[in-house]
Amino acid sequence: MTVEDDITNLQTLLNNLRTFWNRYKRNKKGIIGLIIVLIYILIALLSPWIVPYHPYERNVAQPFAPPSRDHLLGGDDVGHDIFSQLIYGTRTSLFVGFVAAISTTLIGVLIGTLAGYFKSLDPILMTITDIVLVLPSIPLMLVLAMYLGPSIWNIIAVIAITNWTGVARIVRSQILTLKERAYVDSARAIGAGDAHIIIHHIFPNTLPLILATTILRIVNAILSEAGLSFLGLGDPLHISWGMILHYAQSCGGFSRGAWWWIVPPGFMIGLLASSFTLIGYSLEEVFTPTLRRR
Amino acid sequence: MGMKEYIIKRLCFALIAIIAVYIFNFILPRMMPGNPIMFIMGGLKLEPETREMLMKRFGLDKSLWEQFLAYTWRTLHGDLGISFSYYPRPVMELIMTRLPWTIALLIPSTLLASGLGILVGVISAWKRGGYFDVIVSNIGLFIWSLPFFWLALLLLLIFGYYLPIFPLRGAITMGIKYSGLFDFIRDWLWHSTLPIISLTIWNFAGYALMMRNTMIDELHQDYIITATAKGLSDRLIMFKHAARNAMLPVVTSITLNLGFVFSGSIFTETVFSYPGVGLLTYNAIMQRDYPLAQGLFLIGAIAVISANFIADIIYAILDPRVKY
Repeated sequence: MTVEDDITNLQTLLNNLRTFWNRYKRNKKGIIGLIIVLIYILIALLSPWIVPYHPYERNVAQPFAPPSRDHLLGGDDVGHDIFSQLIYGTRTSLFVGFVAAISTTLIGVLIGTLAGYFKSLDPILMTITDIVLVLPSIPLMLVLAMYLGPSIWNIIAVIAITNWTGVARIVRSQILTLKERAYVDSARAIGAGDAHIIIHHIFPNTLPLILATTILRIVNAILSEAGLSFLGLGDPLHISWGMILHYAQSCGGFSRGAWWWIVPPGFMIGLLASSFTLIGYSLEEVFTPTLRRR
Repeated sequence: MGMKEYIIKRLCFALIAIIAVYIFNFILPRMMPGNPIMFIMGGLKLEPETREMLMKRFGLDKSLWEQFLAYTWRTLHGDLGISFSYYPRPVMELIMTRLPWTIALLIPSTLLASGLGILVGVISAWKRGGYFDVIVSNIGLFIWSLPFFWLALLLLLIFGYYLPIFPLRGAITMGIKYSGLFDFIRDWLWHSTLPIISLTIWNFAGYALMMRNTMIDELHQDYIITATAKGLSDRLIMFKHAARNAMLPVVTSITLNLGFVFSGSIFTETVFSYPGVGLLTYNAIMQRDYPLAQGLFLIGAIAVISANFIADIIYAILDPRVKY
């Protein structure tokens, strides 16, 4: 590879990105999803300056206080300001969503590539994939998270360990078809090694698909984090929407009818996850034009 | 490859999967940093002598291999250890007493979800691209992106608190004397309506989307064109011809869904404080009851793997087109 080759490669990449963006921006659903996600990211970045109270400080509101002008979403059982907690929860959800989805994808891509490219590894890797795939994912996550203990990194690890199977299968099947293409044969004929073929000929062609699945993995990671936190396995040092719901459920939110404690967190999770779903499906439509008819 | 080889292959996979889960279950507490006795005996502060005695009693002083053999011996005899939080009740007994309550939720919600899903899927596919179809597809997508337990929480808040039609918790009224079986069933139904509805919502979208897609594939088949050419009515073609064939993968997926439903029941039973295996799982986590959580996971995993195996076999027998 010479420097000039790299420069032309970079230019093609930029050109591809431009055509991609031109196609993506015509997708109305995709744009709506993108705008909502950007707003969430903005909230997460600015949260220390937006929150009216410190989210971990008790007794800033009356216990079970209904919404008022001072406390937009009232208080919980020990007088936390729920609005401030909700704002801070954005950080946890986005962080876990992005990091867990990227880790999930990396594991999936690694295993899928190895299985698809190297025939000898395929049976054992696919058996492992099938076993993890068949196991009930939430119970598996629960058992692992319980042993590892409540920390945000453990939650990320648990999500990545249990959710990579789908990515691995998609990547493997892509590689199985790409491997048979003529340009791979010709690359091999002029003496290119396995690593070179994978990096320069296979990856650039699977990248769009990997990107779309990563976005859908984010949805999965956000919902998994919410579920684990709701079941009491959240990181107590990082307030999250699932954890707010956990406390609402276990500390008397229902006997008080505290809708301001129960409705907003779920709404935040649902809106964020749906926006990522919209982005993910729009990406799939842009990358695979044959899907557009459906 | 014939049917026989196919079944043997699937059986081998199921056995390998069960053995893998089993070994995972054995290794997990022993792999964790710290003393395995903490995970196997609970976080009790123990005198050194007591700990030594317990280590010996539970065989934790032996080699890993000997421990594995002893663990296997106990498991094969249905002994999954003693629960910490319900001490001294055996894990197996706890699971077995809670299981009927969960099954009582799973059966009606699965029937409702698959029945409704098939119906909605057929109508959606029939009027493909119409209002109904677009709404169903979008709602289906939206439900997938919502935290399911939140929907259950909303149901409870609305129909348990604001319009107190249904009770806030439990499967039966505590301390009540029933005048007969009918009375008992009525009380149970009153308690489990909301849990059943929320499990149905959890399951429904998957069935509807699957039915819609297989139905659309089916509508491109030659025999449908023949039926249309013969001048049969749309309704007859949809329900008598296409739906019958499209239903096959959907019906076998009921068994495949067991793992999914198991996950759903953990959330549903937690929200409604319904005393089945799902709530037992939640309690095991909250109390850090390691033997109970592991026992539940093992039983659940074996059930799901077996259900998958059965689904594969049923599908192969029912659908002669399947390629082994």
